[in-house]
Amino acid sequence: MTSKHNESRRAFLVSTVAGAGAVAAGAGLAQTTPQAEPAADHTHDNGGKLGAFLNQDDSAAIEAFTERLMPGAPGKPGARDAGVLNYIDLALAGAYAELQDFYRRGCAALADHCRKTYSKSFAQLTAAEQDAVITAMIEGKASSFTWPTSQAFFNTLRTHTMEGMFADPVYGGNKDFAGWRLVGFPGAQPVFTEADMASREAFTRGPILGLQAQARRS
Amino acid sequence: MATEKADVVIVGVGGTGGILAAELSKAGMKVIGLERGPRHKTSDFAGQDELRYFQRQDLRPNPKRQPVTWRPNANARAVPMAPLNYGNQVGGGTVHYGAVSWRFHESDFRVRSQTIERYGAAAIPEDCSVIDWPLSYAELEPFYDRAEYDLGVSGKAGNLQGHKIEGGNIFEAPRQREFPLPPLFVDNSARIFEEGVKRLGYHPFPTPRAILSEPYQGRPGCAYCGFCSTHGCHVGAKSSVLVTKIPEAEATGNFKLVTGAMCYRIHSDNGGRVSGVSYYGPDNSDNTVEAELVILSPFIYDVVRLLLLSKTSKFPEGLANSSGHLGRHVMTHIGGRVFVAFDDRYVNMFMGPTAQKHTIDDLNGDNFDHGGLGFILGAQISVQGPGFDAGPIAASVGMPPPRGIPNWGAPYREFIAKYFARHAALNAQTDNLPFADQMIDLDPDVRDVWGLPAPRLTYDWRRPSERARVEYMLRKTEEIGRAMGASHVWRANERPGSPGGHHQGGARMGSDPKNSVVNRYGQSWDIHNLFIAGGSTHPTISGFNPTLTMQALAYMTADAIVNRYKKRPGPLV
Repeated sequence: MTSKHNESRRAFLVSTVAGAGAVAAGAGLAQTTPQAEPAADHTHDNGGKLGAFLNQDDSAAIEAFTERLMPGAPGKPGARDAGVLNYIDLALAGAYAELQDFYRRGCAALADHCRKTYSKSFAQLTAAEQDAVITAMIEGKASSFTWPTSQAFFNTLRTHTMEGMFADPVYGGNKDFAGWRLVGFPGAQPVFTEADMASREAFTRGPILGLQAQARRS
Repeated sequence: MATEKADVVIVGVGGTGGILAAELSKAGMKVIGLERGPRHKTSDFAGQDELRYFQRQDLRPNPKRQPVTWRPNANARAVPMAPLNYGNQVGGGTVHYGAVSWRFHESDFRVRSQTIERYGAAAIPEDCSVIDWPLSYAELEPFYDRAEYDLGVSGKAGNLQGHKIEGGNIFEAPRQREFPLPPLFVDNSARIFEEGVKRLGYHPFPTPRAILSEPYQGRPGCAYCGFCSTHGCHVGAKSSVLVTKIPEAEATGNFKLVTGAMCYRIHSDNGGRVSGVSYYGPDNSDNTVEAELVILSPFIYDVVRLLLLSKTSKFPEGLANSSGHLGRHVMTHIGGRVFVAFDDRYVNMFMGPTAQKHTIDDLNGDNFDHGGLGFILGAQISVQGPGFDAGPIAASVGMPPPRGIPNWGAPYREFIAKYFARHAALNAQTDNLPFADQMIDLDPDVRDVWGLPAPRLTYDWRRPSERARVEYMLRKTEEIGRAMGASHVWRANERPGSPGGHHQGGARMGSDPKNSVVNRYGQSWDIHNLFIAGGSTHPTISGFNPTLTMQALAYMTADAIVNRYKKRPGPLV
């Protein structure tokens, strides 16, 4: 992570905390202090470190791969900003444990293909080279893959990237609602009004709500 | 090992079993209900979570533990179906369904006769096994009425005793009175749909749904949160059997609910009667219920499987299967999906109940002339979320981007970032005919966690008339998208080689014991104290969602048992 990125993330967190305070006020509950908000404490920067399941090399590959599937840009959070790697790592250690070997073998085939084609790991390739690898996988032209097939591995990584972007942050991705902010989804709103539903504009009546905010309210 | 006795044992306490449990226990019968899944409370659904309920299907059977396999034809190898269309809890699918609650058309009960009368016998595909229902719409109408008022359905009448009413569904069969509750709010997507289809001369109306638009029977009205289809309702406004009929059954003191109970055999005396069932408990204990009456009301796969597993020397092809038709004539809905996106407005599909929000019935059933089209029947066309749900996971995994935009990379990010809150999905829920080779049997290779053979579905929609129907509906739906003023209109790539949804049939009712499994009351032709409730008994499916028809039939069955069978057990005719 670059220091520039950390700066933008910090700005992001400040706005999140302000938003969370507004939730409590809007709901007519006691104002919570910013210090009480756990907005930043589930940061799990897994790039190059050991996670719950993935090893270092596979973590680096998955992080780079998912970032190409949903790349970040200024003002547009991508997979790395959302913590998609962390989502996948935790899912493979738990709910998706039956996919461990699928990932292990898929990552090995990806590494083999990149080594044969570029003499580098996927994470070491340029963005254009990474995209070429992904295209070869979609077209079935990455011969290192047997099981899973390159298409199956791509499809699963794509689905899991979307889950990591858009699932509630309690699952380890969608960090600070990065994915929901990207698309304009207000999260787990308990109520929409008739006026909300008649509007032709974006929903801005209240802040984004996640499961943790819900739990605090109940 | 425990043995209990009851007047009635109900296998599967879901959308129909729960109704029978309440109605029979209110009549003083001692009822035991066996349910494979758990029992939830409304407060369990406080956590509105698209990953858990939509994507990971937390309220469906776990396909790893309880697989159902599918193959397109008898020469293909069956593989487990990923998404299963039914529930795995007390209340069954009504806990997580979109609560769309239709009455079938009058013609849906007599597809065979209606087609021959209007188009000639040649209009029915040669190998099609369609039969008329053994009852008419008019005979079922009082029970539709009862289901709507008892459970709580919101909608607007379009045909009151033959008087057509604009704004309701003018194609609906005549109803004796209005819905018990006014329609749910008409949202942005429904307004755009309404304006568009009116330009084409169609007749839009708010879809009737078993979701309270106002407080009713002690439950609150809908909060329009949007976590609806695939989710449990966090305020209890969805009129699931879990919050309507189960408390009613329990209040009688005559109903005992057993959860975590996997029924594996129906016992019979080999002399024309059944005597009870056996089930595995959550601790793998082996238990028996002895009962005067056995009612099967699980999803269709398990109706067929249980009867096949319970074969005897008298019924070597499966219990209650002297006809040889058990497991056959399975039908599905094929979804013809079209997506629309707008550059000039937000739509916010994630608000409000997500299943079919607003509908046209102009191209459904026999509501239009099929002359020269190469198919009969049609589709209900509605505006709805991109998957069963309308959150960003459903949109990103369920809605392919338009042609020319890849489904990954910066172009995809731009697409989903711009259009997630500006898109709507249209669905032509397409009717489908029965054929004898569309069937359920036992998978010879795959077993579930109890060691029982998995139900195996053999089904595809590759026949020319089926393909022509779907293609026609897709073209009509694309026209609607353009009439809605969308900036972008594109279709999902639907093609044969998929198992479909809303599976019905397998134990169909009929007038002739030689080509059907049960009579109009769901009573086995072979065994008079064995009843079947639910979609397995449907001889045809219409383009409409099946639940309210299943439920109306359950009320009719309960009425026949309480008022006739209880007094004089025997075949009901």
